Amino acid sequence: MDATPAVRLEGVSKQFADSYAVHHLDLDIEAGHFFSLLGPSGCGKTTSLRMIGGFSDPTEGSVLLAGEDVTALPPNKRNVNTVFQSYALFDHLSITDNVAFGLKRKGVAKAEIRRRVGEMLELVQLDGLADRKPRTLSGGQRQRVALARALVNRPAVLLLDEPLAALDLKLRRQMQVELKQIQREVGITFVFVTHDQDEALTMSDRIAVMNKGRIEQCGTPEDIYEHPATRFVASFMGTSNLMTGTYRGGEVALDQGPALAVGPRSDIADGSAVSVSVRPEKIWLSDFEPGMSKLRGVLRDTVYSGPTTTYLIELAPGVTLSVLEQNTARARMEDRWSGGESVEFGWRPEHCLVLA
Amino acid sequence: MTLLKLPSAKAPTRPAARTRARRGRADRRPRVLIAVTALFFLLLYLPIAVVALFSFNSKKSLTVFGGFSLRWYRTFAHDDVLIASLGTSLRISLVAMAGSVLLGVALALGLVRCRTRLGSLAGLIMLVPLITPEIVTGVASMLLFKGLGVALSTGTVMLAEITFSISYVTVILRSRVAALNPEVEEAAMDLGATRWQAVRLVTLPALLPAVLASAVLIFALVFDDFVLAYFTTGVDPQPLSVRIYSAIRFGVQPTINAVGTLMLAGSICLIALALFIPRLFGRRGGLDILSGE
Amino acid sequence: MALLRPSSRSRRRGPDATGTRMWTWFMLPGTLWMTGFLIASLVLVAVLAVGTTDDLGNPRFGFDLAGVRALADPAYTEVLARSLGYALLTCAVCLLIAYPVAYTIALHGGRYKHALIAAIVVPFFANYLVRMYGWSVVLSDDGPLLRALRAVGLADGDTKILNTGVGVVAGLVYGFVVFMIIPLYAALERLDVSLIEAGRDLYGGPVRTFFFVTLPATRQGAAAGLVLVFLPAMGDFVSAQLMGGPDQIMIGNLIQDKFFQGQNWPLGSALTMLLMLVLLIGMLGYLRRTRKDEAEARR
Repeated sequence: MDATPAVRLEGVSKQFADSYAVHHLDLDIEAGHFFSLLGPSGCGKTTSLRMIGGFSDPTEGSVLLAGEDVTALPPNKRNVNTVFQSYALFDHLSITDNVAFGLKRKGVAKAEIRRRVGEMLELVQLDGLADRKPRTLSGGQRQRVALARALVNRPAVLLLDEPLAALDLKLRRQMQVELKQIQREVGITFVFVTHDQDEALTMSDRIAVMNKGRIEQCGTPEDIYEHPATRFVASFMGTSNLMTGTYRGGEVALDQGPALAVGPRSDIADGSAVSVSVRPEKIWLSDFEPGMSKLRGVLRDTVYSGPTTTYLIELAPGVTLSVLEQNTARARMEDRWSGGESVEFGWRPEHCLVLA
Repeated sequence: MTLLKLPSAKAPTRPAARTRARRGRADRRPRVLIAVTALFFLLLYLPIAVVALFSFNSKKSLTVFGGFSLRWYRTFAHDDVLIASLGTSLRISLVAMAGSVLLGVALALGLVRCRTRLGSLAGLIMLVPLITPEIVTGVASMLLFKGLGVALSTGTVMLAEITFSISYVTVILRSRVAALNPEVEEAAMDLGATRWQAVRLVTLPALLPAVLASAVLIFALVFDDFVLAYFTTGVDPQPLSVRIYSAIRFGVQPTINAVGTLMLAGSICLIALALFIPRLFGRRGGLDILSGE
Repeated sequence: MALLRPSSRSRRRGPDATGTRMWTWFMLPGTLWMTGFLIASLVLVAVLAVGTTDDLGNPRFGFDLAGVRALADPAYTEVLARSLGYALLTCAVCLLIAYPVAYTIALHGGRYKHALIAAIVVPFFANYLVRMYGWSVVLSDDGPLLRALRAVGLADGDTKILNTGVGVVAGLVYGFVVFMIIPLYAALERLDVSLIEAGRDLYGGPVRTFFFVTLPATRQGAAAGLVLVFLPAMGDFVSAQLMGGPDQIMIGNLIQDKFFQGQNWPLGSALTMLLMLVLLIGMLGYLRRTRKDEAEARR
């Protein structure tokens, strides 16, 4: 199955003055996917989105929508719609007129406009507020208007620029679920820009992690979290225990500390400097299984945070690992050790990742 | 006027509670300062009051009030020359308002959005009238018209007033345009509007209060202006302000008090209206209309 | 064409580029209008300053330094010196008036602050001529001000304001003091009251506090006000006409005279250029001052 991607970026760059905001980006976004562009601020994710939307000219490369080159087309000639970070609602128009704006531009018949706007306001649960002005709405409601205003046009691709960034945490969680539901319902390709890795992980079918204008890794949420391809991805997605060392024949000799067994890697030459990453929740403190890498360290600190507890264990001078344990009914570590004590811990070899 | 960096009045606003709590000793009413301010207000309004008062004088004197009368207003109403001048002034103000608002709003939009060298050059040209005294602009305009062989008339006053007013409109509007969220215009285009439609359907409605306020302000300023008008007017019914100027120079006629009072009242109303317009739209109104901040 | 190139490099023909093109079209009419009427006319003044006139008084182009050379005539240098003196004196008086007024309103105006400032600004932007005329009536020999002063013994029968330098400066101050009040008010409003209190603790008296704390903190506002007052005061001719006599004429009156009564246009143009020169020097001085201030602030 080789369907035409909904969005394709071919060698797209954006240069400002003397620096690249986006550097030779190649990217395919499959139709119907919820696709996230994830990265820290200034990584080029919004610039990429703006080039797809037509608000910014690429310095080099082409933007293709459903196989058609739209690089030179203005936003109004592209079959995409955008939900802006600031929502960018038209303050002088009512909610209905805001949502109807795109359909009116397209010359859709009045009755049809009324029907579709009504449906859409229902979908985003704003049917009672049709005649209000945007200024009188709450942040969450304005967000829904922005979404309805874009979706009502049934674009091939919906671009969302950090649409939840301005909402408080609780509302944000709720909107994440709703957005995902709406996306499934309408079946439109969503391209979602965010700097929040939790948000990207919960909502996306695929994620592209960006850094300094380049894509570091592109894959499913699980892929990206479980098998980060680079040091940057490992540290940006959740917390990672990153250690530096030298690879030699299935082992990494840490710069500070012991050698860790990582299994043979044909793609890494002996003697090359590498990073090793172990997720805190992949480290065991008891009930070890056979075949695990086992190490000893000194317990330096415990941080209790409700359902979980984080332990800081010093493996070697300057190398402290954090270990995350669920606070189940069964085991609380404080009952077992106190600070300064030597503790044993371990992980399955496959959870110890070597990053070139 | 933004050329001169006025410290912005709306910059960090202190939280009211904190201000009140911190006031403490500084809040002791300084009698001397209050007296000076009161005296200032007295002297500020005294001349206006004098003109208004003596416009209702039944006598011809400017120093002795003989009793209330509408005599000078009646004289004005029957003075065909002055009435013709009033008409000229109104026409000049209307044309100058329309012309300068049209050109000024477009210029303000272009200046803010266009980051080219031409844009910076236009920004500099736009500032020239604000640092040139009116007498220089007046002399220059007159010489230009003479040089081009254009006879001075009501039309030349209109042209000169438009030239001078564009800067005002642009300065007022430019800060408003800069304060607009650029994503709103992009949103309109995203929804199928062309660039021009986005400006017409979204940007201009958002600027409407400021545009109206600047239009009213320009109307009042042009109506009141006499330096430019004085240098560029012909002999066809001269603008009212030029008439007043001649009258004041060559012996005082009490009619001028009546005309002056009407003009003062008119422009005070218009300027107050210009300050108030943004509030009608639920925006923050205020002096920034006048200072261009 | 080089002018149309955006300063940030983006060579592609795309949405950005078409946007720039449209905004250029927005800008063009106003810019061309201003260039055609204003810049061209200012250039014309400069050209005419070295030109001549024909018998009918129409301007003639040429190169004749008679107008420029005439500026050295003591009669004109005296007027220039007087204008400068009056304008600077006006600036000083405006500063003296505006500080207490702006300070009182900004720090003690309470919720009437905005209303009070509007009460100053609104009449100031209303008809200048009528206001000046009213002011001349107030200052006249048997006007309300002198009568009041005589009543309290501060003036005698011979005291005059009109037809003196005092009268001209009073007129200029009345005309332009608002340009000092607005920037000062804005600066004082921003001033943190706790600064003044700290000053009271450090320096004691309110006068010392004013000179060591308030004044330095509002220096930029005062500088802006000085320029805003100096510009129109230097070019004014109404005040000298209404409040002054033949011995008080300013450069504006001379210019007006050369164009209307004397019909000596080259000389009038030369005087106009001289006025512009003085103002430009003032502006440049101000800009250098603020640049320096900003540079220091950044450090």
